[in-house]
Order: sequence, then structure tokens, then C-alpha cells
Amino acid sequence: MSEISYPKEVIKDLVEGRLPWDRVKSIISGYKDADRFSKYVEILQEKMPWKEKILLPLTDELYIVEKGDDRIVKCSCGHEFGDYRENWKMKALVHVREREEEIKELYPYYGAAPDPRYCEVREYYCPGCGAQLEVESVPFGYPAVFDFMPDLDTFYSEWLGRPLRTKKEFKDMTEGLTKSWGGEG
Amino acid sequence: MEKKVAKKGIGWGEKTLKNMLEEEKQLYIETGYYYGLKELPLMKEDPLKMEIFFSRLLAALVAGRESTRMISGSPFVREITELAVALYTPEGDCILQSTGIIIHIPLMGQVIKWMINQNYEEDPGINEGDIFTSNDNQIAGMHVADVYDIIPIFYGGELVGWVGTVIMEAEIGALSPGLMPTGATEKFCDGLRWSAEKTGTNDKYSKCFEIRIRHGSRLPDLLILDRKGALAADIKVREEVKRIIGEFGVDYYKKGLRELIEAERRAQLERVKTRMVPGRMRASSCYENYYSKAMVPAHHRVDQMTLVPIDVIIKADGKFFWDFDGAGSWGWHPHNTTPSALTGAACLLLSQQIAYTGMANQGTMFCVEMNTPYDTYVNPSSTNISTTNLFAVPFQAGAAIWNLHCRTFFSRGFVEEVILSNQISVKGFQGAGIDHHGRESGMLNVEAAGTSPSGACAIRDGFTGFASWQSETEMGNVEVWELLLPVNWMGRRLIPDLCGWGRYRSGYALASTQMIYKSPLLGFEVWRVARQDRINPNAGIFGGYPEGKGFGWVVTNANTARLIEERKPLVHGIGYPGEAKLETDVEGKLEDNITLSTGWLDGIGKHGDWIQYSCSSAPGFGDPTKREPKLVKEDLDNGLLSIERCRSIYGVEARYDDKAEEWVIDEKGTTKLREEKRKERLAKGITAKQWWQKRRKDLIEGNLPQLLKEMYNDSLAKGARWPSEFTAFWDLPADFKFE
Repeated sequence: MSEISYPKEVIKDLVEGRLPWDRVKSIISGYKDADRFSKYVEILQEKMPWKEKILLPLTDELYIVEKGDDRIVKCSCGHEFGDYRENWKMKALVHVREREEEIKELYPYYGAAPDPRYCEVREYYCPGCGAQLEVESVPFGYPAVFDFMPDLDTFYSEWLGRPLRTKKEFKDMTEGLTKSWGGEG
Repeated sequence: MEKKVAKKGIGWGEKTLKNMLEEEKQLYIETGYYYGLKELPLMKEDPLKMEIFFSRLLAALVAGRESTRMISGSPFVREITELAVALYTPEGDCILQSTGIIIHIPLMGQVIKWMINQNYEEDPGINEGDIFTSNDNQIAGMHVADVYDIIPIFYGGELVGWVGTVIMEAEIGALSPGLMPTGATEKFCDGLRWSAEKTGTNDKYSKCFEIRIRHGSRLPDLLILDRKGALAADIKVREEVKRIIGEFGVDYYKKGLRELIEAERRAQLERVKTRMVPGRMRASSCYENYYSKAMVPAHHRVDQMTLVPIDVIIKADGKFFWDFDGAGSWGWHPHNTTPSALTGAACLLLSQQIAYTGMANQGTMFCVEMNTPYDTYVNPSSTNISTTNLFAVPFQAGAAIWNLHCRTFFSRGFVEEVILSNQISVKGFQGAGIDHHGRESGMLNVEAAGTSPSGACAIRDGFTGFASWQSETEMGNVEVWELLLPVNWMGRRLIPDLCGWGRYRSGYALASTQMIYKSPLLGFEVWRVARQDRINPNAGIFGGYPEGKGFGWVVTNANTARLIEERKPLVHGIGYPGEAKLETDVEGKLEDNITLSTGWLDGIGKHGDWIQYSCSSAPGFGDPTKREPKLVKEDLDNGLLSIERCRSIYGVEARYDDKAEEWVIDEKGTTKLREEKRKERLAKGITAKQWWQKRRKDLIEGNLPQLLKEMYNDSLAKGARWPSEFTAFWDLPADFKFE
């Protein structure tokens, strides 16, 4: 059986939500296209106002990119958050919906809303463009959730069969950042 | 001395089933392949024949499942398809499964393995025509009301496999009516229990079994008819399997089913490698059980919030590792879970998210490993606690894991696979009293279990009807529910402004409004699966908002007769401007304190009183201020979005055109509003460092509710890895605990 592959324009329409649903459905039901990742990254790269090579799209706004020997998280606006092994949220702007009215705006019905004394609804914004990048709803005092730390070296070398130029230790580095903040008193 | 002669087993080549189970385990450990199958000769030699073999078996399961639906009298089965059928190897490994409540597929296999390990082969014996019934969650299971009927398949005197059917029952004779008694804190309140019991021989249930049901359930007819339906499915599959064996040969059958499992194991690992990304993903889940005022034994009257942190590791070999390190203590309530139930959750997730070829089986399950620390919420040490609802963690944590998987689909470019799941804080009512036929009855309505909105997708809004815990979405026909329950449906409608906001929004939450019909006496208990009251699930992604919880209320002593007489508007939904509302337009006693309640409500309902409840909404995707205005207009035109939230959440300006009777988007106004919104965020957002310093001070000074302090202390004491991560994040001493 020959490998399935879709034209780049089809993938572009799919990613941008323009492909008719019956076509999307047939893609869902069919065999997956082996070249999707490379086409996907190519499409996204063309849209970005910056030149650093995208290694992995992390969200619809954030990308892990190669910058020199570093791999950093970068917003589509160009704002840079730092090493991808640090939770990027710790370099974002944070707003917690603490007042009842702020909660009610999201959940206008009694019983649907959380209790802000117990639950932090945290919004994380990009300091560069003000985009809302993530929203957390966690118990008050819960650490910022490090949603996804990809193992890029395994991904590229073992799964894609094209190792990256450099190797990085697969290690959560967020702790070092908060420790330095604590050290400041 | 008399020489002991080894007894012949009923397994293949006269082996005992225990021997077969041991051999299978050993070969897998030694080789890494199912039954040591490094090669798949049947598939290699004639793949089409194997495909036909597989399709014939699958068709048998589907046909069996449909037979049950024709026999059952329960809307659970006939309407919302709360059942599933699966075929197993002699060792209890699933070969293939029907659609339906597939969370139970590996669990029925666990019951078979348990029977093998208990040496059922000798006592009580396993013979052609035997029926084994199980709903004992200490063995395996999810709810006590999920009843498994399992029969062996013999061919030429050998046991060649098993077939099992699971049905969710409407009434199981527990402490309170329905199937999820929230007041059950010990298993002795859980209702009828069969612990892998031989309940019939020669394809017939025993009379004693039927008598036990007649005397033990509030709706015995439904329970008995369901058993007959399950048995019909089992027999239909068994006989078709025999025909297939006759056609393909028993040798082909035996080898073929092992190849199906091994092939699926390999396929699953490949699917992960081609669609996902290796690494570590994280989520949190929190469970709330308020029992201090419940009518339960004094030593069970405890309010408890419990953490279950979730780490999902996708390993280099394509296997998943679910780590629940840091899970807090189990409690005296029915909402803990077990490793067995979490295995069911894994089957549910993988079969629908990635292994949806129809070939999901035990091979899929070999690709998931877990850490479920003993003596915690996910692996209780007590064997006496109630297990009527082990589903809370699989629902909440399972949905969180589902959404984490979506992140990797997105990263890999498979955006069409990103369909977020809700954590289904569905609420509803179960009750007891006199029904509309004048009979004593118990009631439960799980229409909301058949559908809830989906979360947003990466390329479109969420679906209105979706049920991640069910492979088919169906609420059931109102007319059928009305035959069983003493209520008239006054409306099933979406709730305006209740969705997971985002660039793509979730489906809107659905509400049911019912008026009690011809019942003179009805007591209510709130049922819900998820345990969320004060804390909403951490569910939105990429800037989309988390879902709103399900909610509901009851009005007793309602003035409905007068409203009808005066031809005043009645209630049909929630939140529609200008329409009658239960909480303001119907006079009576509003039982509006149900969010934190456990067990029975104070009020007693009767003809003309009201019940209204909603399922939860679901998570949103992406920054809401980036939502396309034309999608916003559609929501406005459909009456599902208020202009206030259109402006404040989406940053879209619009006006209503009275002539054209539609909303018109003000593009300039929208650009201005969105720019203001952007500036507002940049102004009100503090740096993460400032937030961290502020919150750390709160933690050190103990500025948080006592229940949360106890919750954190519990996880800090129970966890191995999680406590050090928590204290490191906040730069607290390693032995930190709250006063």
C-alpha cells in the first residue's frame, strides 16, 4: 500500500479550520499521512514573522524553536520565554480571577462556577502581545501546571529518524527558577 | 502410597486454565511478545483471510449486542446503549470488543482471570452452558450497577474462550434507589452483589437467582430482563464463534486470536509513534466529598478534598505510563477508585482516541503501565468501602488525560484528532416513592449520561452531543423515559452562555426540565459521578476556559396548578431572556442547596412539582478574543450568547437589526474592543514572579481554607515524588506542612 499524503494546501485548510467537515471526517477515518508533521511545520513556519526554526508547535501560539544551540519557547508575536524545559508560564503575565463578578462572567449560573476561595482560575498572558495562552483552574496554592515537556531528542532521533544538531538533557528546569526567586527573599 | 494423577484441564491440550494463564504471562515477560509471537504467520501468509476472520468475529459481537437491546426493557439499554459485549481468550484476554460502554472490556477479562486464579475450574467447575455473573468491584468493576454476565465457549471438549456482556442497571437495590447511592459509605450498602457467581447452568439462570433479584431490587423486572438480554447476546456470540471455528478450523482460531492481540499491540505502539510526541504531560485533579452532615455512620462524617495529581509519560517505545504519585487518602464514601477501574479508563480512552480501528483489544492494553500508590484514593487498602461509583477518578482524571493526549496530537499536526473532553460533572436526581402507575418504585434518570457537550476541537467548535465515556451519544427518547419515570419532560434545551469559552468554544450545556406527573410522593437524591463542587476541572487548553459544572434544583409545593389555571407561562429551559424561570416564576420551596449536598434532599415531591438539572459544559480551545466574529454572530443569532458576554469575553461588538431580525457585527467596534482587551490584560497581568511571591506568602502564612490545608498535608504525607516537587516549586522546606 502506498503511503497516504495530502497536498500542502489541504493541510493548510485543515489547520486553519477551513476544510469542509465531510473532508475532515474522511481524513479522520482514513490512514494517517506520514508526512503530516513536516508539512505542518512548514505551513506554520511560513506564517511566522520570525526566522528561527520551529522544532515543535506547543500550542496555537507557542512554539519550541531552535535559537543557536538553545531550544526556546517563542510566541507567534516574537516574544521569547526561555528554555523549553522550564515551564514557560513562569515567564508569563498572570491574572487570577479572584472576585465573584469575574467568575460570574465566565459561569453565569449558580452551581456552575467554582468558589474562588478554593479554586484559582489563573489566566496566563503573553507579555509581548497580550494573547491569553493558557487558563488553569486548580486548587488554591497548586503549583503552576507544566502541561507538556516534550522529549525532543527522542522524538527527532528515534521517532522521526533525524536527530537534532545538539542534545539536551530531558530534565524539568523550572525548580531552578523558583529557587532563585526564593533566594531573593 | 497412592500416586497422584494430574487432573486434565479444560484448556488447550488438556492444560488447566491456570497453566495457560501462567504460560502466557511468562512468555510475555521473557520475549516482550504476546504468547512469544515474534512472527505472525497467519497474517503474513493470507492477510485477507485474517481480515475476514476478524470481521466475522466482530459481526458476531455487534449482532449479539443488538439482540440484547431487543430483549431488554430498560431505557439504559434500549435507548442509550449502556452495554457492551466482548470476546476473550481462555486466559481472559480481550480479543475484540463491540461498541458501547467499553470501559468494562478489560474488567470483564479481569473477572475471568480472577475466576481462573480462584481455581473455578475445580470448584464450582466450568462447563458448557454455565453462566457467571459479577458486579463485585473488589474483583473488577466500575459501578456496582454494571453487571457482567460471562459464559465459557467450548469446542470439541476444550474451552476455547469466553464471551461477556456488561449492562448498566437502572436499579440495583442499594441503600437508596437508582444505582449510585451517595450515602453508601460501606460496601454493605451497595445493593445486590454477585462475586463472579455461577448463576445458571445449561444456558438458564437458576430460580434462586431470579428470586434474589425479585426480592432485592426496586425494579426487578428490568434487572431480570437485562440478564436475559445479556445471556441472549452471550449465546448468540458463542454459537457464531462455533460456526466460525467450524469454518476456519480450531487450529486457525486458536492461532488467529493470539495473532490479533499481538498485531494490535504492535499497531498501538506504532500509532503512538506516528501521531503523538514523547515526553511528560501533567494535570491535576481534585475530588470533593462532603459527608460531615450526611446520614452516615458518625466516623464517616468527614469533609474531604483529595488531590490526585496526574503525570502522563509517553515513553520512547510508544508506551504510556500513568503516574498518580501524590494521590491523597481514600475515604469512607463511594467515590474512591481502584487500579482495575483505571485500567478500564485506559481502554475507554485509547479505544476512542487512537486505537479506533475496531481492533482494540488486550494488545492495546499492554501499552499502558501505571503507578497507583497503595492505600490512596486510587488504590484503597480497605476492602469494606462502598464501590458504587469508582468512576469519579476515571471520569475526571481520564478526561484530563484525554485532553493531554490532544496536546500531542496538536503538536504533531493531527489537528483533526483534537476533540477535548469534559469532566462531566453531570448532576441528576434519583428518587423513590410512588410512580405514575401507583406502584412503589425507585427511579433514576441517566439521560445526561448519554450525552454532554464535547469540548472544543482544534479546528471547530465542540459538539452538542458527545459522551467520551460512551462510544455512542444518545439521551434516549423522552417518551420512553416517561414510561418509566413519573415525570413529564417540559424541555430539553441548551443553556445560553454556558460553554467553555475559547477561540473555538465547547458545545453548550444541556438542561432538562421536568414536572412530576401523577406521583403523590417522591423523595430525591442528587446523583453525579464527578466530585466537583468548589473547584472546576483544569480543562481548557491554549487559553480556552475550563468548563462550568453541572447543576440543578428541585421545587416542591409548587403552584403549578394555579399557573396552568391562570394560563401563565411554564418553565421549559434555563437562562432564556423573557422566559419563565424555575427559581423566580414558580412559587414553592426551592431546594437550591444541592451543590454541596450528599444524599437526600429535604423536600418531598408530588404531582406538579419541578426538577431541573444540567450537564456540565466542556473546555474551550484558544484565546476567546481570537474567535472569528462570524462564529460569534452564529451564537448570537441562535440565542445562545448574550451581548454582554459577546463583548466581555469575545471582545466582539454587535448590534441587533430589528428589520432583518439578525445580529450584525460591528467590525470597527470589534477591533477597538479587542485592542482595549489586549491592553487591559497587559495592565492587569502581574509577572509570574510577583504572583509566585504573593501565593508563596499565602501558603507560608496559611491563608487558605482548612480543607485545602488538610488536602495538601495528606498528599505531602502520601506521595513519593510529588511532595518534593511541591515544596521545590514553592521553595519551601522539604518537611513543610500546614498547621
